[in-house]
Amino acid sequence: MRLSRFLALTFFITSFSLLYVWQQTEIFRLAYIDQSNFTTFQDLLDKNTVLRYNMGKNTSLVRIASRLDESLAFQMPQGYHLVRLTGAKDNPKLAKQAPQRESLAFRLFGIKRQAEAKTINP
Amino acid sequence: MHISNYRRRVEAVFLLFIIFLIFCSARLLFIQLFRSNYLSGIAQKQHNLFIELEPRRGTIYDARLKPQAVNMSADSLYACPNEIPDKDKEALINKIAPILNLDRAYLKDRLYRKKSFIWLARKINPQQSQAIRILKLKGLGFIKESKRSYPNGYLASHIFGFAGLDNKGLDGLEFYYDSYLKGQPGWALFLRDARQKRLDLWEKTVLPKDGYDLVLTIDEVIQYIAERELDKALKSFNAKAASIVVMNPHTGAILALANRPTFDLNESASATTKQLRNQAICDLFEPGSVFKIVALSAALEEQKVSEEDKFFCENGAYRVATHLLHDHRPHGWLTFREVIEQSSNIGTAKVAQLLGINTVYKYIKLFGFGVKLGIDLPGETAGITREPRLWSKVSIATIPIGHEVGVTTLQLASAISVVANGGELMKPYLVSEIRDKYEQTIKVFAPVLIRRVISGETAARVRKVLTGVVENGTGKSAKVSGFGSGGKTGTAQKLEPNGTYSHSKFIASFIGFAPAQEPAIVIAVCFDEPRPYYFGGVVAAPVFKNVAKDTLSYLKAMQPLNAKLLELNEANRNN
Repeated sequence: MRLSRFLALTFFITSFSLLYVWQQTEIFRLAYIDQSNFTTFQDLLDKNTVLRYNMGKNTSLVRIASRLDESLAFQMPQGYHLVRLTGAKDNPKLAKQAPQRESLAFRLFGIKRQAEAKTINP
Repeated sequence: MHISNYRRRVEAVFLLFIIFLIFCSARLLFIQLFRSNYLSGIAQKQHNLFIELEPRRGTIYDARLKPQAVNMSADSLYACPNEIPDKDKEALINKIAPILNLDRAYLKDRLYRKKSFIWLARKINPQQSQAIRILKLKGLGFIKESKRSYPNGYLASHIFGFAGLDNKGLDGLEFYYDSYLKGQPGWALFLRDARQKRLDLWEKTVLPKDGYDLVLTIDEVIQYIAERELDKALKSFNAKAASIVVMNPHTGAILALANRPTFDLNESASATTKQLRNQAICDLFEPGSVFKIVALSAALEEQKVSEEDKFFCENGAYRVATHLLHDHRPHGWLTFREVIEQSSNIGTAKVAQLLGINTVYKYIKLFGFGVKLGIDLPGETAGITREPRLWSKVSIATIPIGHEVGVTTLQLASAISVVANGGELMKPYLVSEIRDKYEQTIKVFAPVLIRRVISGETAARVRKVLTGVVENGTGKSAKVSGFGSGGKTGTAQKLEPNGTYSHSKFIASFIGFAPAQEPAIVIAVCFDEPRPYYFGGVVAAPVFKNVAKDTLSYLKAMQPLNAKLLELNEANRNN
C-alpha cells in the first residue's frame, strides 16, 4: 500500500515537472516563432513605408518638374522665343507687298509663299 | 570487533556529512543574508535585457494632409572591434569603404579601437545595407533606427527645418514643435535565451508614447508655385538672394514661404549657414517704396489728405534739412493717388510732413514693424524702428519712403494683409492643428487678431489706390489677368560698409494682394542685388503676377473639393 502510494506520488510529481518543463519550452518555442513573425511583419511595414514614401516622392511636383527638366530638356518658352505667324489677310501691309513678291517662276511652278515669321522683341 | 569498527566508520562518514551539511547551510545562509542582492543582480543581467523603446516622431502634413516629413526605418551599422582579428581588419575596410563612401582612415581609426561596440555608419540607405549584408562579414551588425525623411527635398526647407541623427529637432518647425513631435520613449525588460539573444517576451514594459502630428497651413502646390517662380526670377536677374511669403490676409495663415539660397532637407548636414538662413523672418533690410503704404494708410485714416489732393513734386529734387530728396523721374503737380502710383518720394515726404513725426511713428508701430509678429518659427527678428526722439531732421522725409527702418519680408506681408483684409493685423502662423496618430485633434490654432490698424473704409480706399499702382503706375507687371490685383513696388539702395548708399546694389521688392476685389491672398517678394535690372516693378512684380495667377487658379479649382470635404467632415461629426 505504502509502495503504491509512493509510486503514485512519484508519478504525479514527475508528470507535473515534465508538464511544467514542456510548458516552459513551449513558451520559448512560441516566442521564437512570434519573434520571427514580428520581424517579417516589421520588414513588411518598413517596405510599406518606403513604398508610400517613394509614391509621395515620385508624385510630388518637385520631382515631376525635375524629371521633365532632365529627360525632356524642355524649356518653357519666354516671350522673345515665340514666333508670330502673320497671314496676308491679317496684315494689310503684307497684303500689299504679297503680289509684288510672287515672281513668274513662282506662279509657273505653283510654289506658294510660306507663312511669314516675325520675332517679337528680338 | 569487526562490527564495532564498521559502526565507527559509519559514524565518521555520518559526521563528515553532517559537517559538510552544516558548512553548506552556513554558506547558503551567508549568501542569502549578505550576497543575495548582488547575485540576483548578476542573474537578472544574464536573464533580462533592458531596452529603451523609441517613440515614433510625429509626421508633418501640409494643409491637404500630404506628408511632408515622415519616419523611415534605416539600418545603422556597428562593429565589434574586439571580435575581429587584426589581420582581417584591413580586408574588411577595403570591402566596406567603397560601399559606405567613407574615408579609409576614418574606418581604420574606429576598427582598431579596443572596444566591444562602435558605430561605423548611422542610418545608411537600403542599398548600402543590402550590399554589406551580402558580404556576411564577421564582427559587423545592424540595428534598426528611425530616420527622418522629406519626400519633397528642398521644398519649404526653411519651414520644416530638420531633425538630427537622434531625431531631435534642430531647425524650423522640427525645432519649434519638438516637444509635440518627439513623443515619450518607453522601456521594456526582455528575457534572454541561453545564447544571450533577445526574446520577445518582456517581464516589464512601459510602452512609448508616439509624437503628435502637425497639420500646416502651407499648401504643397502653392509652395511649389512660389518656389518655382522665385527660382526663375533668381536665375533671370542673377540675384544674390530672394525670399517670398504668400499669406491668407483674413487669417494670417502662411500658404507658402521660401528663400533662396536653399538646401535639400535630406542632405541638411552639407548645407552652408547661408543656405540654412530663413531670410524671410531673420534678415532685415531697408524696404524702400513698399513702405509708403504706411504713410498712405495713415494719411487717409487721419483724414489729413484725400486721394485727389494735389502736391507739387518739385520737378524731381527737394531739399529737406541737409538732405536732397530725389524722385526716380521728375514730376510736377500730382494728386496723392498719383504720388503713390508713380512712387514719388517727394510727394510722400510732403504728406508725411503734414502728418507729423508722432503720427507716422504711431502707424509704423500699428502696422507691426519693429516688433516680432510671433510666427511659430525660431529666429524671428523684430526689425528696426527708432523712437521719434531719435529721429533726425531728415527722418520725417526718409522714413516714410522706407529708409532708416529695418523690416523683414514677413512684416511686409503682414502689413499688406492689413490693407487686404479690411484693416486688421493678424498673427502669422504655420501650424493649424496638432493631432495624435489616431487623427484625434489635440490642439487647434485659430487665427489671432493682434489689433485693428485702420478702419475698413480706409482699407478699401488704400486698396483702390494700390490697384491704381498696378493699373497705371510702377507695378504694371503685377497685373493679374482675370482677377485684378493691387500692390506697391519698392527699389531700395543697399548700404555700403562705409555707411553710404550704394549705386549698384539694390533690393527689389513688391507687396500686393489679389484679386483686387475681395483679396484672397497677399504676396511679398524681395530680391537682394538683382542684376542688370533692379527695379521692383521689373524684377519682383512679375513674380507676384505669376504666383498670384497660378495660386488663384488653383484655389478656384479646389473650391468644389473643399466644399465636399467640409460636407464629409460635417457628416462624420453628426454621425
